[in-house]
Amino acid sequence: MTTTPRGLALLAVALLTALMMGACAPKQVTKGEKFPQMYTETPASILILPPINESTAANAKTYYATTIQECMSYWGYYVLPYEITSDILKMEGIYDTELIKGIPLPKFREYFGADAALFTTIKKWDVSYVVIASNLTVSIDCELMSTKTDQQLWRYNGTVVVDLSGGNTGGGIAGLVAKAIIAAAQTAMADYVPYAKQANYRAFSSLPFGKYHPQYQVDQSMAFFDQTR
Amino acid sequence: MTSTPLFRLLVIFAIAALGAGCVQKTKPMYNWCNYSDSLYSCKKNDGTETLAQHQAVLERIITESKEMSMRVPPGVCAELGYVYAAQNRSKEAIGLYEQEKQTYPESALLMNRLISQTEKRTTVPPGSETVSDEKALNQEKSLGGAKP
Repeated sequence: MTTTPRGLALLAVALLTALMMGACAPKQVTKGEKFPQMYTETPASILILPPINESTAANAKTYYATTIQECMSYWGYYVLPYEITSDILKMEGIYDTELIKGIPLPKFREYFGADAALFTTIKKWDVSYVVIASNLTVSIDCELMSTKTDQQLWRYNGTVVVDLSGGNTGGGIAGLVAKAIIAAAQTAMADYVPYAKQANYRAFSSLPFGKYHPQYQVDQSMAFFDQTR
Repeated sequence: MTSTPLFRLLVIFAIAALGAGCVQKTKPMYNWCNYSDSLYSCKKNDGTETLAQHQAVLERIITESKEMSMRVPPGVCAELGYVYAAQNRSKEAIGLYEQEKQTYPESALLMNRLISQTEKRTTVPPGSETVSDEKALNQEKSLGGAKP
């Protein structure tokens, strides 16, 4: 195959772009270097704790909780049945966040046989209005704690922002009003759950795989973007 | 420009190869049907109708997974067992708890607890006061949390 001068120029541009993007992209780390304890402790069973709701939406806790079990199972963990475990916690009177945080982690191992407990915090679950645009945001902090050593095994955040403004509805005040009405209607019906699922997938992207996943114990070199807070 | 047809052919081959690779890789691990959707409906509209729908989804996940010779997703057998136990279908409930235990040995502790709880409930003679979940749980080892 012969290479034309034009082809060479294109290649050069592509290389330059790649280099530039590399320079300004956030730092990449691997699962192995960031979460070494996941590979030494190898938790197999995970107990999902009732989410901690720091958002302004009162029902976010109940709704978000329906999205975790399915999503997490794809990472190869035995996820304890949340509908049962949350029921037991409710009966024990420890469904509320402050009370959960007061329970020593080894209790969850004794009672449920969980190797690790997943704490989730809903940071944002709302629609914000910026002049004429409106954004739906779902942001979840996830933290996996060992019930053996009380140590943090893994932590990551998943955030999804969706632009709800839609297409242009025309200029002038009438346009603005129309947009505001559309945004309000969309908020009322806004279904956060699909975005919550996306946020979960984003958060779990850095989670090492568990024993039921084909890549269990061989994904140490998988890279992801480091989130520094 | 003599190499263009050959180049095109190569590109086509490369795409085909990539496509084939992807198809094999994306074989799903589990069949969850529309589990999280029906569970969400249950939370949104509390009622017997949504609960029955969710139960049907749980049943479908198990039969379909078996038909496709896939592992039943974690927690599904246990959850259906829990639903049956609440309907006093104790025998079926225990069978499902056993199935969960067999598929996922990690669940043994919780499943054994649920099995003995269900057995206790069935041994209560008919007509007498049935032991509620709450009582049965309180008889067992407590989590030691704040009691109301």
